[in-house]
Amino acid sequence: MATPDELLEFLPGSDCGQCGLTCAEFAAALSRGDLAPEDCPVLHEPDFAGFIDALHELLGPPAAPAPAMHLDPDRCNGCGICVAMCEYHLGNCDEARLGRGPRPADRVVFKVVNGAVVVLRQDLCTRLIQAAEKCNKCADHCPTGAITLT
Amino acid sequence: MICTGCGCLCDDLDLTVAEGQLLEVANVCLWGLSRFFPCKRSHPRKERRRILKPLARLNGRPREVSYETALEQAAEILGAARRPLLYGLTNTGSRAQEAALHLARKLRARLEPADLAFTAPYYHSLRKHGLYWAPLEVIRDEADTVLFWGANPLHSCPRHPVRYSVFARGRFTERGVEDRRVAAVDLYRTEVAKFCHLFVQVEPGRELQLLSGIREHLEGAPGPGPAVKGTRKLAGFLSQGDFGVIFFGRGATYNQGFALLDELAGLAARLGEERPFVLFPLSADFNAAGLYQLLFNELGSPEAPDFGHESGLLTTYATADWGEFDAVLVVGADPWWFLPEEQALALQARRVPVVSLSPYANRTTASARVVFPTALAGLEAAEVAYRMDGLPVVLKQVLPAAWPTDREILLDLAKAI
Repeated sequence: MATPDELLEFLPGSDCGQCGLTCAEFAAALSRGDLAPEDCPVLHEPDFAGFIDALHELLGPPAAPAPAMHLDPDRCNGCGICVAMCEYHLGNCDEARLGRGPRPADRVVFKVVNGAVVVLRQDLCTRLIQAAEKCNKCADHCPTGAITLT
Repeated sequence: MICTGCGCLCDDLDLTVAEGQLLEVANVCLWGLSRFFPCKRSHPRKERRRILKPLARLNGRPREVSYETALEQAAEILGAARRPLLYGLTNTGSRAQEAALHLARKLRARLEPADLAFTAPYYHSLRKHGLYWAPLEVIRDEADTVLFWGANPLHSCPRHPVRYSVFARGRFTERGVEDRRVAAVDLYRTEVAKFCHLFVQVEPGRELQLLSGIREHLEGAPGPGPAVKGTRKLAGFLSQGDFGVIFFGRGATYNQGFALLDELAGLAARLGEERPFVLFPLSADFNAAGLYQLLFNELGSPEAPDFGHESGLLTTYATADWGEFDAVLVVGADPWWFLPEEQALALQARRVPVVSLSPYANRTTASARVVFPTALAGLEAAEVAYRMDGLPVVLKQVLPAAWPTDREILLDLAKAI
């Protein structure tokens, strides 16, 4: 993760105020994750082509989303209902859609390991990737109440 | 890899093994986990102790002995018995069951499946009513009306709802649970209620009244007296749909088992006149179906055979009275877990010798005079098992075994006697 001074190198440095901030303040907001490089209007001009990509490279990948799914291993009995009901698995994992367990190479949100569900790729969860807050299928169908979504 | 946790015999498990040690099992439920790791069923943190060497009691205390010594002592006990009992076999492979039947013939013993009290009323009613039958895949593809009677599949076979009966998406049930109507009848409200469209909690002793009320409603002539709560709703539920199935569990056979199963089978037969309707026992033991298949093939009846009868062979649905036996051989079961305490004490008082074959220490091995440690079928030993709907499945050996299989011990015993 780059420092605000390093980020400032790739900003116009003219303090034009079009974004409502000075360039130094914009760099600090970028490093905090409050703003994105695209929020600077001047960087979209042809003279600054490639600066947005460079800033993205300096900032690194976006931070992982905060955990939105809590599993209680003491309550889970590994029935796999959540794996079969998951909205992401429905379209992307044939095995889970048919009620079987996913294969090791399958990209899945969660699977049953040693008798309890474990989250493998929470970033694939429909709630997060499509901001579909209404998808509660795994928690709604869990007969033991082992899944809590926040 | 196939799971031998329950009668579902799930075939989609992935095992991670390193240097002969099992590290991880994917897609296994909590019930099946106890077949792979030394823990109790549904209690992964409660460890079970593996029996490492054959044990024989000397001066009342169990001592480690050689396999040959244990075999000699067991053969002596069983060979000298006038009325031996061979008990269990529902949690062992079909090859071992064949060897057990051979041994029972040789010993002129009574052979009793561990779940006879559960399945006997079913087979009895099946013979009387003659019912429609379908494998689990057909139920998954076609059943749109599912009723659980005295059954909690989440405890006896946890993946059954997701693989076959409720959530599975099949040929004509492409939306899974949304294409099905699910109901349950039980004495207590269980977790099953979470996904049931209709849950009927019936008072103990009123199940027969509930069933006869449903029959009356279906015939269009409800009786004049007050009906059991839920009768009308259940009758309406069962009268709809194109393909139905009633899964019954042990709860249906605890009291009035034969009468209740007779009524349930009569109801399924009545519903089956209009559309396919299956009555299906939810067996928790992984190879109970294999044992009844063997008894059907060899003896022509699923009843428990008694080779010690004066006629040479008597088959019966009645469970045995343990008071009449003078030696017991237990394979693939732990009868001391549920045997009434007075019966267990009576066996102890009469000094009835018990020979037990088990991979893990349990209550039966604690009371046994001779104990043989065995390899786990489907993990440490290749075997054959029958899924709860009668489909034979080949179990492979994955890990090296330090112990003989049930079949090897039973064949050695037959030779030694």
